[in-house]
Amino acid sequence: MAVVASSILSASPAALLAALAPSLTLAEPATFALWQRLLLLALILGSGWLFWQRFGRVVRRILAARKDADFQLFPLGRRIWDFFWEVLCQAKVIRERPLPGLAHAFVFWSFLAFALVTTNHIATGFGLGFLDPAGLFGRFYFLLAGVFALLCAVSIAGLFVRRFFVRPIWLAHKDNTISAESGIIAGLIFLLMATYLAAYWVPSGSTAALVLWWLHTLTLLSFLPLVPHTKHLHLILSPLTVFLSRGSFSRIPPLADDDDFGLVTGRDITQLTALQVYSCVECGRCTEHCPAANTGKELNPREIILGLRGYLNEYGPASEQPLLGRYNSQQAAFQCTTCGSCEFQCPVGIEHLPVIVGLRRGAVNTGEWDDDHGGKLFLALERNGNALGMAHSEREKFLAREELPAFDGSQEYCLWLGCMGGYDPKGREIIRSFVQVMRFLGTSYGVLRREKCTGDPARRLGNDLVFQQLAESNLENLAQNKVKKIISICPHCVRTIAEDWKAYGTPPEIEHHSEFLARHQARMPAAAPAASAGTTVFHDPCYLGRYRNVYDEPRSIAAASGTLVEAERSRERSFCCGAGGGLAFLGEEQGARVSETRVGQLIETGASTIAAACPFCNTMFRDALASRGDAAPQLLDIAQIAAASLPPAPASNPAGSLPNPA
Amino acid sequence: MKIIVAIKQVPERDARIRIDSSGRWIALDDIEFRMNESDAYALEEALLLKEAHGGEVIVLSAGPERVGQTIREALAKGADRGIHIASDSLASLDALGVARLMAAAIADEHADLILTGLQSDDLGLGQTGVILAELLGIPHSSLILKIEKTDSGLRLLRELEDGWFQHISLPTPALLTIQSGNTKLRYATLMGIKKAKTKELRTVDAASLGIDAQPGLLLDAVALPSRQKTTQMLPGTPAEAAAALVAKLQQEVRVL
Amino acid sequence: MSTVLVILEAKSGSPSRISLEALAAGAALATATGAQLAAAMVGPAAAMDSLGSLSAAIAIEHPLLDRYTADGYTAACAQLIARLQPDYVLFPHTYQVRDFAPRLATRLGRVLLSDVTAFSLDGNTVTFTRQLFQGKLNGHYHAAAPAPCLVSIQAGAFHAAPSAPTSIPVESFAPALEPSAIRTQPGEPFRAATQTVDLSSAPLIVSVGRGIKDEANIALVQELAQALGAELAASRPICDAGWLPMERQVGSSGQTVAPKLYLAVGISGAIQHLVGMKGSQCVVAINKDENAPIFEIADYGIVGDLFEVVPALTTAIRKAKG
Ligand SMILES: Cc1cc2nc3c(=O)[nH]c(=O)nc-3n(C[C@H](O)[C@H](O)[C@H](O)COP(=O)(O)OP(=O)(O)OC[C@H]3O[C@@H](n4cnc5c(N)ncnc54)[C@H](O)[C@@H]3O)c2cc1C
Ligand code: SF4
Ligand code: SF4
Repeated sequence: MAVVASSILSASPAALLAALAPSLTLAEPATFALWQRLLLLALILGSGWLFWQRFGRVVRRILAARKDADFQLFPLGRRIWDFFWEVLCQAKVIRERPLPGLAHAFVFWSFLAFALVTTNHIATGFGLGFLDPAGLFGRFYFLLAGVFALLCAVSIAGLFVRRFFVRPIWLAHKDNTISAESGIIAGLIFLLMATYLAAYWVPSGSTAALVLWWLHTLTLLSFLPLVPHTKHLHLILSPLTVFLSRGSFSRIPPLADDDDFGLVTGRDITQLTALQVYSCVECGRCTEHCPAANTGKELNPREIILGLRGYLNEYGPASEQPLLGRYNSQQAAFQCTTCGSCEFQCPVGIEHLPVIVGLRRGAVNTGEWDDDHGGKLFLALERNGNALGMAHSEREKFLAREELPAFDGSQEYCLWLGCMGGYDPKGREIIRSFVQVMRFLGTSYGVLRREKCTGDPARRLGNDLVFQQLAESNLENLAQNKVKKIISICPHCVRTIAEDWKAYGTPPEIEHHSEFLARHQARMPAAAPAASAGTTVFHDPCYLGRYRNVYDEPRSIAAASGTLVEAERSRERSFCCGAGGGLAFLGEEQGARVSETRVGQLIETGASTIAAACPFCNTMFRDALASRGDAAPQLLDIAQIAAASLPPAPASNPAGSLPNPA
Repeated sequence: MKIIVAIKQVPERDARIRIDSSGRWIALDDIEFRMNESDAYALEEALLLKEAHGGEVIVLSAGPERVGQTIREALAKGADRGIHIASDSLASLDALGVARLMAAAIADEHADLILTGLQSDDLGLGQTGVILAELLGIPHSSLILKIEKTDSGLRLLRELEDGWFQHISLPTPALLTIQSGNTKLRYATLMGIKKAKTKELRTVDAASLGIDAQPGLLLDAVALPSRQKTTQMLPGTPAEAAAALVAKLQQEVRVL
Repeated sequence: MSTVLVILEAKSGSPSRISLEALAAGAALATATGAQLAAAMVGPAAAMDSLGSLSAAIAIEHPLLDRYTADGYTAACAQLIARLQPDYVLFPHTYQVRDFAPRLATRLGRVLLSDVTAFSLDGNTVTFTRQLFQGKLNGHYHAAAPAPCLVSIQAGAFHAAPSAPTSIPVESFAPALEPSAIRTQPGEPFRAATQTVDLSSAPLIVSVGRGIKDEANIALVQELAQALGAELAASRPICDAGWLPMERQVGSSGQTVAPKLYLAVGISGAIQHLVGMKGSQCVVAINKDENAPIFEIADYGIVGDLFEVVPALTTAIRKAKG
């Protein structure tokens, strides 16, 4: 750049003009003296050695970590697609942060375009250049790379301005500083592009071309060793991370053997986790979307990942040092609602939930976690088989009062009440409404007498023992009763039964009532116009949306209560209600209550109805809405919305009698 | 300190109660069993004492084979070994008979301290511990909330009625029955369960203990109480409703 | 003639109410079996002057019995039983009786029939009823061993007879006790310090919810709690608002309580609240909404405006307490 500028300044106006109009051929140095070749070789070796000094250590740490017991490379189709979509297309990066995402994509794509250019560049130094700048292909390719170089230079400058001048908080470190290293790296990238582009302005074979060539080379060779020292390691690792990821969302891996209690010490970190931990680009997307981090809690998902990296750097994967200590705190690990926003957002395929749940497993399975509410919850699950610690007889009373038939194998569905549906007065109202709909449709259903908690809170809090006991006992009960299909009003039950129970058997098919209701919508009467006069905002439950990919079905039901409006955070980006991950049972939150924050976001839409599709969201919102006074919107489950459109049950055939043929 | 904790396996607290065909006990086919609640607190106290002063915690339980599961749970929570008095016919014994079996089974252990729960959730006799103390010829105290080890023995916090408490000192060996609810129970962990697998569980056949099984008390029949719990609404003007409630509080609830 | 002996328990110098209920049970049993009724109590003779018609009234007196010990009471009662040779020995089912009566029974080679609620005569056999499974089942027992048969009577199972002068002079009985035989050293009874709120062990709780509307109205329930001698507790919104301190919050993120009486005022009964108080023996709810879920788990409910019901209740309780 400097060379170009000085040559411009010293030239005559005509020459200046000529210099400003670039030639269409990239200038290359004519020849390289032997000493230059030797120097080049030495520099490459030096740079490569420096690179490996650091990168080799990372690789060895990753390889020394424990193998992932459940890792399966096949089927490859999904992996290839993820690689294509997330890495090559940069889809996630762009979708979640369009402008900076696109800027990043341009940098990435130029790197791809430069693969060939750079190889040729170095080869030229040894007289082995294979792209002729004057040839047809060479001319085309160098120009193409030039376009990318331009986009890349603009993008990296933009990203620099954003990071250092706009300073979004989630890019900052824990202590609110921004490290200079990304500035240096950005500068180097900019320089790489500039020294490339500048070669269009100088004559081929000139000294200027030689100087530019060397500048480009030196930039490149200083860039290389910096990569593994900084978050730019993701450049090398993240394509691999995306390709090798566990694949299913929020997957909790099975415990490997009798000595595996979750993430207790460095020895429990697996290769995949280590790879992911070193791939983090510190972009803060996870933190930006984390309900805990957004409500003043200690938990910050990026710092969880970086904490593990810090641990690996200091102690390595063979260490017996506890993981919860210097680098990660127990308190933070237990503030996670397992909403999955972080994992969903992460552009490099880092899976936070196996880590966070893994840390909890380590603390709970060894008895390290000592929390009054948590202990009570586990004992309630152990002793009462439900998370609320209620007497089983209370459920029986409810079944009797509502005349809910016992499942006897003849009915189509086993109606799964769950803890909330079985014991919570409000959850029971949802069941009541849903049963009305099923009766109207003439769908046959029955309820298990000895249904127990699915174990969801135990699972997410890392209590494998209680979870296993509950899963096994329920699976046995379902098998004994020959249940084929389950229907549930609770996305947590659905997820746990459908996915988590697989570790202990084959669960029956299960669906969420939103799916059932949407499927049968055509057979339901239309809502009275008065009922749908206002506006309705639907809150996507994490366990229905991100965990199950169900977004439109509940909306189609909710629409009966009013014109749908969307909250700023909705669908995949929905903000948690605060209940998940067992947190509904864990007592007071640090900072603001997640439920109140979310209710604020929903109220902002001006909707007159909040539609929910999860009894936990329901209980959280009900509580948060109560403090908002009488002007607060009404809160309804989609089952209640669906039931509202039904004709009133005839007096002689009260709710609770035999199914009403539709 | 060598501590023995006597633990009973009982039907879970809110089990659905149906009377069996003999009319003398409840049907057990559909029932799940748990560690008796106050026994769980006794175990917790024992584990806390062991953690503070060292020693050994031995769990003792009598009953059919399924009792082994409850002993394992106690081992998982941290007890060191278990003694199972195996018997399928405990129901034919009274509290004295069961206590005699227990006394015989632990005669050689010479424990410093024996803990039991205050009472069982099923029979609710609340006697086995006290009887055992008399059989072993050691002092006892019941309804204990807190145990402190002293130079000469133990200093205890004992619950009295109506919100009163009392400290009691006694020498060891001694037997204490533990009241529920004063400490936080630990939850069973996966690690504990795995460790428990290698711990010793000795089974003693009840018949080999040479206890004559002539009960002094016989349970002839069981019956469901006629009145089940329902909500009773108290109507009338505020003054009338208040008067009706006061009457209930005096006569039924007995808190006035 | 056979004898039913009732061993009474003194409370501040005179027989406790539950002892008098046990005495009434003894009288009924004596009548049914054609036995005579005797009563004994540790304490001065003067305390036994209004027990009605008895065949024997015995004051057990010994300095070593001044403060209760299981060893002392067991030895004293064993000696008394040896002297009187009763067929039945009845006790009130108190904490103290639970502590020593099983030991006494063992010493006599018998088993105590504890916590009995009723008895019936069936030919020559007396069948006793006691509760199993926390009251969810009744068990009918009879004694197979020879006399004496030891029985403790549940509080409230029998009605105490109106007091009448004891029909015969009170005898004194001095058991032979050795200090060395008393192995436990009991301390002075005390009440838990009242400054620290410990809802978990409070026997009576008045709990207030958002229905109270305003901080100033808390005084209303405070008075009720005072009249009842109860601790004051609250639902979360009350503590969130700072109207009562956090440690008085009952529920899933607060305290878990299990009092004898839980009186919920203006509380709707959200699941998180129910979770904290479901172990209460008796729940009373006052709420203006007859559909409030709290009524589902209440034993007694009053549908009405708390601002009318609570003052009326405070007045009625004060009147009842005299
Ligand atoms: C994670 C989580 C944890 C929670 N933890 C707890 C907890 O530990 N403890 C807890 O209590 N809550 C807890 N909550 C809150 C709980 O969900 C409810 O919001 C709360 O219990 C409601 O309190 P309330 O019954 O006092 O108020 P409301 O539900 O508003 O009920 C007020 C009641 O007062 C009645 N009322 C109004 N005026 C009168 C009048 N004049 N006379 C008579 N009655 C009247 C109304 O009919 C109504 O039933 C928690 C919530 C969440 C989400
Ligand atoms: S799962 Fe949700 S709460 Fe947990 S760390 Fe991720 S974003 Fe935060
Ligand atoms: S974990 Fe993923 S989303 Fe979070 S900072 Fe690292 S790269 Fe970004």
